[in-house]
Amino acid sequence: MVDDDPSIVAVVSDILSAEGHEVVSAENGAEALAKVNGEALVLLDMRMPVLDGWGFARQLRASGKSTPIVVMTAAENARRWAEEIGAAGYLAKPFEIDALIAAVERYATGRH
Amino acid sequence: MTALELVSLLTQAIYVLIFVLVGWGVVRRHTRTSVDIALFFGAISVAIVESRLVTTLGLEQGEIVTDIVALLIIAMPYLLLRLVDDFSDVPLIINRIAEGGLFLSAVAFIATEGTVPPPILLAVVIYFAALSTYCAVAFVRAARRAAGVTRRRLQAVALGTLLLGLAIFFAGLAPLLPSAMAGLPNGLTQALALASAIAYFVGFTSPHVLRRAWQEPELRAFLRRAASLPRMPDTPSIVRALQDGAGSTLGARAAIGLFDPETNTLRFQDPHGVLPSEIGRSDYLAWRVFETQHAEYYPDAARAHPALASAYRTHGVRSLLIAPISAANQRLGALEAYTDHQPVFSEDDLDLVRLLADQAAVILESRALIDEAARVQAHEEAARLKEDFISAAAHDLKTPLTTLVAQAQFLERRAETQPLAPADLPGLKRIVREGRRLSALVLELLDASRLEQGKLVGEREPVDLVELARDVARRDSYEGRRITVVAEAPVVGSYDPRRIGQVVENLVENAVKYSPDGSEVRVDIAQRNGEAFIDVTDEGIGIPAGDLPQIFERFHRASNVDDRRFAGMGLGLFLCKGIVEQHGGRIWVESREGTGSTFHVVLPLEGAR
Repeated sequence: MVDDDPSIVAVVSDILSAEGHEVVSAENGAEALAKVNGEALVLLDMRMPVLDGWGFARQLRASGKSTPIVVMTAAENARRWAEEIGAAGYLAKPFEIDALIAAVERYATGRH
Repeated sequence: MTALELVSLLTQAIYVLIFVLVGWGVVRRHTRTSVDIALFFGAISVAIVESRLVTTLGLEQGEIVTDIVALLIIAMPYLLLRLVDDFSDVPLIINRIAEGGLFLSAVAFIATEGTVPPPILLAVVIYFAALSTYCAVAFVRAARRAAGVTRRRLQAVALGTLLLGLAIFFAGLAPLLPSAMAGLPNGLTQALALASAIAYFVGFTSPHVLRRAWQEPELRAFLRRAASLPRMPDTPSIVRALQDGAGSTLGARAAIGLFDPETNTLRFQDPHGVLPSEIGRSDYLAWRVFETQHAEYYPDAARAHPALASAYRTHGVRSLLIAPISAANQRLGALEAYTDHQPVFSEDDLDLVRLLADQAAVILESRALIDEAARVQAHEEAARLKEDFISAAAHDLKTPLTTLVAQAQFLERRAETQPLAPADLPGLKRIVREGRRLSALVLELLDASRLEQGKLVGEREPVDLVELARDVARRDSYEGRRITVVAEAPVVGSYDPRRIGQVVENLVENAVKYSPDGSEVRVDIAQRNGEAFIDVTDEGIGIPAGDLPQIFERFHRASNVDDRRFAGMGLGLFLCKGIVEQHGGRIWVESREGTGSTFHVVLPLEGAR
């Protein structure tokens, strides 16, 4: 879970943990790149300080990792941005928790 | 026929031709100047025709006819002086001398019945030559003052006058010389007379082709300057440059009046302060030209508009050339050139004034298009900013909303599936915090919208700024920073207490937000010269110089601010500025990156609107 808003990170972690997923969080793209280590899915905010969603996606792919990405943004062009970075899917903020859980179930590769 | 006779015939033919052309000009439009020109060439032509008639038809010369012709010839230098007087003031003494000379030569001629004794003849010849030389010099000086076609024409006239003077001088000299040398001055006289005839022809009845050629360099110079004019900073400077350009092209002063459709007047920004700045319907000659859309030459402004005669005289406006400035069907204004003398050839400059007015129209139209493009761009920019504002606002509102919706749903689901589980306190606190955040954002947005409508500041009442600042400082939300309010005495003014409180609170909160733990925030309050001063100083991260100009703009946050650490919409200072300005005050900031910032607020103490 990569997002610069700590409240969203907290609530999404709570929700996904309750579903039995393990959540690793980072507050920007740079921190996420340092932490990423065989996760099944990246939930990615796009507008972040230091390194944004586009930069993160580019560098992730450049390092040879094919971890699926789901774009999670409050901006209006969630879908276009998801296409731009070759994401598996997108979640427009605010979202229903069922949509969040469904997206994770649908796009995550393998289960840890 | 000898060569000398041929030259003589040619010379005489040219003089008669000039008279015919000039005379036709007088018939079409007579001014004092054109009448004087016609008189001068008329005198010459009568003498020529008379002598030709006598020699070719072998007519007996009547005594009276001979006398009249001789008197006309004697009057020629005087007629020339009259012409000079028309466009540059000839001193009274010269006029008197000329009149005296004319009178004395006439008396001498009549008294001696045509056989003037040599000493008197010599005196008359000297009088002729001196007067012609004076006129030639006067024409040269006038030419130097003039510009455009007029200048070249005056130069030709000056040359013609000088040559004529010399011709008369040598012709007069001939009878006084021994007969052996008589042939020499005769040939010289004929040659000089022909040259003067050609110079006069060029000067007084310039062929169209020649006038076009003379206009060209002036127009070219004007156009060279004109190309850069539409990009000048504003329309008044363009108009000034056009006036200067037209003035120097025409050798006159020029003024441009622009049509103002709202008041239905021509507005002049006359640099010479000569004409009233506004010209209304039916008033003034420029308005007539603007209405009829026909360029006009007014040789005598006072006669064309008697009601304004005295004004014209005071301001030295003798004659006027006015042309409408129009592009396509757009009537833009009028260009007028004016001089304090009646110029000899202004009729011909009418063409040039028309061309200059057309150029002015092109330049003003280009300017209007540039302005229009800028307006469209500004409009699009405003629309884009509004769009940006809305999407930024939506983004900022959705962020707490996302947490609220997800957290509330999660709690709801937990309550359904695990009714006995303990309350999720962190989750509940998150809801409260994000709810407050959302509410603060909504209030900020509402304030911004009220500010745009000018409704942000409400009822005013006497407010002590020192007490208000102390209230703000006492609040507990400053995480251990010391807020010190420094004031010597109460500072009371008439303000909206809630809004001014909001300004102080915002500045103090900003100071706290951007400075390290344990640092001091100082609020200095004082009054001087009917104004209240509030200075909020911190020891924080400061503001980069590049950000200072935009710091009070909507949604601007300095580039050294980490968005994540300093949540908020960036509307705070925008609102502060609006509140202060609607109180009739001003706000600015002094800052050094890494050292700290001081925000200065100045509010009027009394009489604020």
